[in-house]
Amino acid sequence: MKIGISRLTLAMTGLLFLVFILFIADLLTGSTRIETSEVIRSLFGRGTTGDEIIVTQFRLPKALTAIIAGAAMAVSGLLMQTLFRNPLAGPDVLGVSSGAGLGVALTLLTLSPLFTLSAGSALQGWGLILAAWAGAGAVMMIIMAVSARMRDIMTVLIVGLLLASAISAVVSLLQYFSNETMLRTYVIWTMGNLGNISYPQIRALALATAAGLFMAFLMVKPLNAMLMGETFSRTVGVRMNRTRIILLAAASILAGSVTAFCGPLAFIGVAVPHIGRLVFGTTDHRILMPGVALCGSVVLLLSDIISALPGGGHIIPVNTVTSLIGIPVVLWIILGKTGLGRRF
Amino acid sequence: MRRRDITAETNDLAIGYRSRNRVNLVMQHLSLQARKGELVALIGRNGAGKSSLLRTLVGLQPSLGGSIKLQGKDLQSIESPILPRIVSFASTEPMAVRNIKVRDVVALGRFPFTNWIGTLAREDEEAVNEALEATGMMLLSGRSIDNISDGERQRTLIARSLAQDTELLVMDEPTAFLDLPSRYSIVSLLRQLTRERDKCVIYSTHDLDTAINEADRIWLMTGTGIADGAPEDLILTGTVARAFESPLLAFSSSEGTFSFIRGNQTGIALEGTSLAAQLTEKALSRCGYRNDPHAELKIIVRDNPDGTEWSVVNGLQTEQFRSLYDLVSHLPG
Repeated sequence: MKIGISRLTLAMTGLLFLVFILFIADLLTGSTRIETSEVIRSLFGRGTTGDEIIVTQFRLPKALTAIIAGAAMAVSGLLMQTLFRNPLAGPDVLGVSSGAGLGVALTLLTLSPLFTLSAGSALQGWGLILAAWAGAGAVMMIIMAVSARMRDIMTVLIVGLLLASAISAVVSLLQYFSNETMLRTYVIWTMGNLGNISYPQIRALALATAAGLFMAFLMVKPLNAMLMGETFSRTVGVRMNRTRIILLAAASILAGSVTAFCGPLAFIGVAVPHIGRLVFGTTDHRILMPGVALCGSVVLLLSDIISALPGGGHIIPVNTVTSLIGIPVVLWIILGKTGLGRRF
Repeated sequence: MRRRDITAETNDLAIGYRSRNRVNLVMQHLSLQARKGELVALIGRNGAGKSSLLRTLVGLQPSLGGSIKLQGKDLQSIESPILPRIVSFASTEPMAVRNIKVRDVVALGRFPFTNWIGTLAREDEEAVNEALEATGMMLLSGRSIDNISDGERQRTLIARSLAQDTELLVMDEPTAFLDLPSRYSIVSLLRQLTRERDKCVIYSTHDLDTAINEADRIWLMTGTGIADGAPEDLILTGTVARAFESPLLAFSSSEGTFSFIRGNQTGIALEGTSLAAQLTEKALSRCGYRNDPHAELKIIVRDNPDGTEWSVVNGLQTEQFRSLYDLVSHLPG
């Protein structure tokens, strides 16, 4: 379990530095042009009113969300890949994001008329998160049950795909019966958006992510054993049922919370763990877990910066950017030297 | 040799699978033993239940009756954190990873000894190094598991079990998919561990040849149960021959090998005693001839300085050949 200290330190500090730089860049750039000095003044509450609102109420929460959500989605994907022994597993691929989305849709499209949808209301914060967790957890349990019976990883992926389709059918049905305002809220949500988050929501997201990452990190030792397979893990004393439940919960909390606030972020979960393995040259989860989290933050910050590049008040949905970054990585896994990507 | 302690023992064991409302009994009344310092080969045909027995023995699958004792303790009474220090298991399950180094795989054998995050202490590092050394994998320890041969990968798994530092090592099909030399080298490595490190190694295989030559003890799956004894005992009692009975195979008890039964009809008289003559007999047997000193057709094998020469005498006609291939392709019938 040793990797060259120099490479490890170099990669970790490099990534931390990159997160910092990109965070700054994300604050400085956007669809509206604001001078650097003005951004700095705004951060300290001394900017002109309009600019200050853009910087503190839009750019800053967006950049913070990118850091948290990127890390959460990437680690969630890492957990799923090891848990299901499947290099193509990820929150979106296995339908877990869809499950979380169903929870969100049920909340937004059916429950919301009963409550106010004002920012910061209970429903907007923890209510939405809980619904997303429930949806994500339900899909995870179905996938787990399938993968226990089907050794073939492609079968599991196909089941995930079918689940996602089934869920989207249910959501269409919900949309059909909902009114225009609710629909609008929902459709914007599906595009993946880092910018519509209030500070109380960020706090909720940060807390949930911290909890998920903490649970995940407690499991690094069993995760490493699971690389050798379930039989080996059991014979060296891993309590598989307990471990599976904790990992399932951690992955659902991470993917569910992000999906609740930012929409289904595509391809971060599948692609980033592979980028992490490439950067650190190891499969050791003690290194991969923090490493992949940092890579996730970097990728999502970068995607967010790119999404605002067109300028002039236009923003590309962030999902489009993450897909354009993620799909080549997934293709590289599928076409890699092990053929259909049977292993990491 | 003094009688050693019993490492593993089963008493009237029944194995199989229990599903919701059905019991699928694979085998029962198994009373087997394996002692410290012994190499035990579990032999049976494919699908006979070798894996089931091994999985039951290491506690991965509940037994359907009877008892298992490991180092004198009843398996069911051994607490789950203690079991990994008594028995290690290497199965045929494929690894999920490609980019893992040999040393990292072996280090996972220290799992039962390391802290919550899996940090290797000094004695863990030492155990890993020793296991790499003992299996001859030290030089390849920095290679990734995908860049070594099948035999080396099997050695890595043996090293992983060795690092786990248990008295009993159980291996499911460690020689499957290996070529003949690797098969022998793996089994002789296992034997070496029993001799030099006092391990008790139980491995399953359907490779009878190496087992008969190397194992101290064979657990031979027959249709009705498992026969337990030294390879030679099982040959002597005819158990081996019975277990693999087939209209196509004949077992030679003196040599401990199987050969095809052929309908050898035509007689041919073979003269000569050299290696070339023995090989000629083998070739003739393959082509449906049997050695008969009184036959009319005669083959004389001569070892000349410039190579072997075969003369086929058929009545008055004599033909010369320079290779067995030419010889057999010119034989009548």
